[in-house]
Amino acid sequence: MKLTTLLAATALTSLTFSATAQEKITLKFWDNQQTESGLSQFQQEAVKRFEAENPNIKVEVTTIPYPEYQQRLLTAVQGGNAPDVSTLDQIWVGAFAAAGAVMPLDEQAKASGLSADAFFKGAWESANYDGKLWGIPFNVDVWSFSFVNNALFKEAGIDPASIATFEGLKAAAEKLTDESKGRYGIGLFGHKGEDTVVVMNSFIFSNGGKVLDDAGKCALTSSEAVGALSYLQSLVPYAPKGIMNADSGAMRELFLNGSLALEFWPALEQPTLQKSKLDWDFVVGHAPEGKTPIGTYGGWNLAIYESSPNKEAAWKFVQFMTREDVNGAVVDLIPANVKAAKTFLEANRKGADRIMTHLENAAPRPLSPRYLEVSDIEVTLAQDVYGGTDPKQAAEKACAAIDALN
Amino acid sequence: MTQRETWLAWLFAAPALLLVAVFMYYPMVGTFIESLYSTSFISPVPKLEGLAAYRRILADPAFATIVWNSLVWTVGVVVLQNLAGFGAALLLNQKLPGQGIMRSLVLLPWVLPGVVAAILWRFMYDPQLGLINSVLISLGLSDHGVAWLAEPQTAMASAIVAAVWKGFPFSCIVYLAALQTVDQEQVEAATIDGAGPVRRLFDVVLPGMRDVIVINFILTTILTFNYFDMIWVLTRGGPQNATHIFPTRIYELGFGQFRFGEAAVYGVFSILVLALMITLYFIVQRRALRRKPA
Repeated sequence: MKLTTLLAATALTSLTFSATAQEKITLKFWDNQQTESGLSQFQQEAVKRFEAENPNIKVEVTTIPYPEYQQRLLTAVQGGNAPDVSTLDQIWVGAFAAAGAVMPLDEQAKASGLSADAFFKGAWESANYDGKLWGIPFNVDVWSFSFVNNALFKEAGIDPASIATFEGLKAAAEKLTDESKGRYGIGLFGHKGEDTVVVMNSFIFSNGGKVLDDAGKCALTSSEAVGALSYLQSLVPYAPKGIMNADSGAMRELFLNGSLALEFWPALEQPTLQKSKLDWDFVVGHAPEGKTPIGTYGGWNLAIYESSPNKEAAWKFVQFMTREDVNGAVVDLIPANVKAAKTFLEANRKGADRIMTHLENAAPRPLSPRYLEVSDIEVTLAQDVYGGTDPKQAAEKACAAIDALN
Repeated sequence: MTQRETWLAWLFAAPALLLVAVFMYYPMVGTFIESLYSTSFISPVPKLEGLAAYRRILADPAFATIVWNSLVWTVGVVVLQNLAGFGAALLLNQKLPGQGIMRSLVLLPWVLPGVVAAILWRFMYDPQLGLINSVLISLGLSDHGVAWLAEPQTAMASAIVAAVWKGFPFSCIVYLAALQTVDQEQVEAATIDGAGPVRRLFDVVLPGMRDVIVINFILTTILTFNYFDMIWVLTRGGPQNATHIFPTRIYELGFGQFRFGEAAVYGVFSILVLALMITLYFIVQRRALRRKPA
């Protein structure tokens, strides 16, 4: 009798355990880390909060260094091992959507009352491709802010506010450059990398140009785009040597050691500068007199994978991570949620209002599934321009290559 | 050999053959098949296009640039690395004080991880902060330094120098070992006959090392043609594609732009070149074995 009771109890216990185990969902969330902000730790803490609110969901957070992230994600998707949720660079959204790797979120967003109003306009646009919503904006930043070395500006008798215009920037760059002293006025760079493209785009956007027109055709030969390219070319004499193999990191080194008066970086540069002894400030981009500087949007969206068996739980997690009271604690750029961004910027960044204005004015990069190829062509364009090729000819070559992609 | 012995031989060879088939031939055949299809991340369903991708890539001026760059890179690195390696081996073969330490130190570049060596050279080539420009400027040989890796005219040569520094210890060690096997009686006989050091080198030492030299050239050609990390870290194939070679192009197409089909085409061309080199290696090795006295 006792044995029968014991067996029955054991069977019941194992059944209960297996039922509990079946109900518990494990979500795999991948993100990348671009700064040394301790992002992974912040996210783990937020995840504990999410798990407390959702006892049946466990979240496994994988934080991957930025340089490896694209390759790791791509390999996982190709190998059928994609996570349930991940951050996606704004420029990958088109490709991941076209590949059928991620799911559209229009219905979920509508049902949950999640709408564009809560996010920066450019960030929301970056998650939309082919008439559908493929992600929820997670974090944002703008390429670029122009960080200035106040001491060098003061020594040269230049008011940093004067560089808001194209004309003012060029005049200042000329005055600040003294090659014999190893001093340069402007941190232009043109290596093979996305930072080259976003800085060039911000000058094109600010001059009224576009990369692709509304029909998806190359618009780089417009007078506005060519004008911006010619302008960038005219700045080359005031930049440190070696533009074509220099990146934003190299310019940061020169800026930090006092050799460079102005560097282009997103707002995420501020924590680095705050740790330095430099007297610095920033200007929100440059535009011709009478025009508004328009930066290039950067940032990441949260996407849910088609292969995920836990889409409902994944959506709960996406909503949680983009909530006003959570978003600011789980990003190392700027929260994409506007209200969270305001709080975050006021607490962590100098010139919060100026950053907000630049974020509101910024434009996303072309929303194309072949963006990475467009970007590669734009890098060649930048190198041609910085290398001395006639900007119109360089733009024509770039447009021929971009239009041949379709 | 009896039938049983034949079966046994196949049985013992089977694990090795299986490994080679799975890890070498399957990926190679897979790459060739992939190259016949238009496959990319955004069009994951392969679409057969036969040799169209080959025709497209062959007509692309970028392909000619990459072939030329690969040739310059491979020939430059292989020749200079072997010359430097041979020179160092001759020096280390002399009975000099500290010979043991020198032989260990010369290996240092070779044992450094490739990426670390590349980063080191990137710092040295830095136009503003780099050691090379500092030395040139302090010696009065340049006013403001040179942007070594940023000018299409100097980028490839700079990358070659860095790769030679990284790779010459390999050639040095191989040549040092070969120098030990040169018949000393012949060297002494030549000395007695009045041959000077240069004559002894060209008429006695080098002929005695012929097979090793050829094999070393072929091996370093294979390694250099496939050498990815040095150029990727230094220039990513830039500026203006001046240093783009097969491995960097394959990586860029496959992992940078998700264009797997086109990356596979470049991969097939790479395999063909390497297969040719490997065949040469085996021919030379077989001839060398035949020449050896029993």
